[in-house]
Amino acid sequence: MAERVFITGLGMITAIGDDVADNLRSLRAQESGLGFTRQLDTIYKEVLPVAEVKHTTAELLAMAGMTGREGFTRTTLLGLIAMQEALKHAGVSDVQDEVTGFINASTVGGMCDTENVYFDIADPEKTGDFLNYIDTLDCADCTQRIADTIGFDGPITTISTACSSSANALMYGARLIKAGLVRRVVCGGTEALTRFTLNGFNSLKNIDKRPCRPFDQDRNGLNLGEGAAYLVLESESLVKERNATILATLDGYANTNEAFHPTAPSPEGDGAYAAMKTAMEMGGCIPADIQYVNVHGTATLSNDVAEGMALQRLFGENVPKFSSTKPFTGHTLAAAGGIEAIYSVLAISHQIIFPNLHFKDKMEELYITPETQLVEQYPVRHVLSNSFGFGGNNASLLISKYEG
Amino acid sequence: MEELKQKLKVQIIEALNLQDTRPEDIDDNAALFGDGLGLDSIDSLELMVLLERQYQIKVEDPREGRKILQSVQSMAEFIQSKQPA
Amino acid sequence: MKGKCYIQGMAAITPQHTFEGDPMAQPMVVTHGNMLSCAEPDYRSFIAPNSLRRMTRVLKMGLTASLKCLQDSGIAVPGAIVTGTGKGSLQDTERFIKEIRDYQEKALNPTPFIQSTYNAVNGLIALQQKCTQYNNTFVHRGFSFEHALLDSMLLLHEGTADVLAGAFDEITTEHFFIKGRIGHWKKETISNDKLYDHPSPGTISGEGAVFFALTPVVTTQSYAQIGGLQMLYKPSPEKLNIALPKFLQQHGLQAADIDLVLTGENADTNHAHYYEILNGYPQLPFKHLSGDYETVGAFAMWLAAQILKHQQIPSQWFPMLQQQPAKLRNILIYNHFFGEQHTFMLLHAV
Repeated sequence: MAERVFITGLGMITAIGDDVADNLRSLRAQESGLGFTRQLDTIYKEVLPVAEVKHTTAELLAMAGMTGREGFTRTTLLGLIAMQEALKHAGVSDVQDEVTGFINASTVGGMCDTENVYFDIADPEKTGDFLNYIDTLDCADCTQRIADTIGFDGPITTISTACSSSANALMYGARLIKAGLVRRVVCGGTEALTRFTLNGFNSLKNIDKRPCRPFDQDRNGLNLGEGAAYLVLESESLVKERNATILATLDGYANTNEAFHPTAPSPEGDGAYAAMKTAMEMGGCIPADIQYVNVHGTATLSNDVAEGMALQRLFGENVPKFSSTKPFTGHTLAAAGGIEAIYSVLAISHQIIFPNLHFKDKMEELYITPETQLVEQYPVRHVLSNSFGFGGNNASLLISKYEG
Repeated sequence: MEELKQKLKVQIIEALNLQDTRPEDIDDNAALFGDGLGLDSIDSLELMVLLERQYQIKVEDPREGRKILQSVQSMAEFIQSKQPA
Repeated sequence: MKGKCYIQGMAAITPQHTFEGDPMAQPMVVTHGNMLSCAEPDYRSFIAPNSLRRMTRVLKMGLTASLKCLQDSGIAVPGAIVTGTGKGSLQDTERFIKEIRDYQEKALNPTPFIQSTYNAVNGLIALQQKCTQYNNTFVHRGFSFEHALLDSMLLLHEGTADVLAGAFDEITTEHFFIKGRIGHWKKETISNDKLYDHPSPGTISGEGAVFFALTPVVTTQSYAQIGGLQMLYKPSPEKLNIALPKFLQQHGLQAADIDLVLTGENADTNHAHYYEILNGYPQLPFKHLSGDYETVGAFAMWLAAQILKHQQIPSQWFPMLQQQPAKLRNILIYNHFFGEQHTFMLLHAV
């Protein structure tokens, strides 16, 4: 029989905190990370709010212990900082003491740095240090730099399915463990703000000029964010062998596709419904077992209708407490699934539900509303974490309390 | 107005790369979306870009855009209403 | 991992005439210049004009190859779609970067942004075939296709009835120039048919879109069985040396059982030494046909499957072939992408 998959380490950096503890503190204090960018060179500097990590790239280089090293993009550094925390948290001082895989997620790789030098790179007349950044054009660069720094010797790859990328990384990692190919794998994603993605979402008229308000009647789009998050997944046998602490289990997951439109979900939320239902059933749960759904909740017009319809279809009159944490972190694209999986683990380990900030009025299409208060001492045993994206890519994870 | 509509049709065909369509194939009042020309929501964003690049008219709200972009006629009327007489 | 994996259908758009007719009977396409481009088919037979009008090149290539593959296999709606791409749609990425600059971030068309996302081709396939099942895209240089293949094999093992697995990459003149700046390509201009006469730093670039329909059961239609797959990331020479015999042993084989190795040898003297592990094996290089790119492993697999199905090596594509092997049961593919991602793939005749 396939082994169960346990979560044994967490590491993250977002606009609301440099590590997991700092994130939890901000969530509890209801402090949003949204504001105006200090790092991006864009005409929307003081127009479009973003959730930016509050450090310069040089500061991140020092935080990652890489001062003086060349070619480390902001994407890589965010990832490296989160990775170092995750391994430390799991009590792994040497990843080579057990063959360890690394499944990363990225949407635009090192674009944050390459977009500033791209025209020099492409110009035969110009030469200089920017040539160091040629290799950072793709998504594999950040993964390999993190892998090389840490010393991973197991399976290594990068997934890119837009906003569901790191949820898919977690799913793939869990499946590698279940298939017996590896006993430990670190999964998640990293994303830095770029002019490219900011203008991309803006061209889709998908960005709200105000702080985003998921599941609100008056919502008008998302805010982008940046960050990185990794979770250490281990097989039951390895956890027992090394007597590791189990933070939560990953018993269910699903990946479905809308097959509806390049950038929009079906209005009835068919893909979201199927993803949640399949993940739940895989983990042996029925709707009544779920206490909390960390929704994708981007606050775009179409996502929240589709996702809300899917929740109503799946849970009927008894929709569990749900909230979008994107008003805290912004939409961190490839990192979102990882960040929200960690928040789901925190919901279980601290018996807490995070508020959906900026919500005022119920959407006319739905009868449900998100949780707007911080709820402490809530008995959270099973959480669904949703990540939906472009190309119709949907992913849901079922994260559960370990009860033997 | 007629001239503007002619020009718009040419610009629409070019912007959306409607290779097998000629300007005279597009009826002034035919629906651009759905059953008419068969355009979709991405085309509607591209048409808003057309308005901005060619006519310096910015449409902020996609919901407002949908009304303006119903047909060549409605687009032309909107452009005219925004331009000094 | 237990369970079997058979190629039930496939299609390839490459710099050779691999897409239509009997590909094994086609003459070798010879290109003078270090950048090989695909022989593109007429996309209108596969994609409706209304969908085609916005698509850039690699989207058309990827979608068309996937549709032809499904046709070939007789599977309309696969149980999963899994792809690999090193670079996604370069044309769209380049276009969007330029539009941001040229229009100073104002009034931008969303299309190149949407199409630049690496999972755009997957989304299009799912949309066209109404496939609402598992859908994933790997974007890791020389492991992109191979992880798509591993994911597919896992899916079959987990009970998925059939999987559409594929890979696509394109090259543009701008990107060819950029990668040339870090020594990817040869300084001297050559013809692809003379590639191996020019051992020097760098190689020639290429592109391609190749798809496979995979099932856990064999039929009379099956091209080949995929027996094994292994990836090694930046292996030390010692690790690489022991990896090959170990890989074969894991699959119950010895060196003598390998009838042919298709090698990623590409006349790049910076990274040629890795191929010394193949000394003593009967081998043929294939990159004079495709050029080099992240997901060229998919083309190698297509080639191996064709050879196994036809029980013959197309001699017009391999002028270096001395004589046809006595038997063609097991083909090994060994490739690496600029020395970083090394892969073994093992195919058996059915």
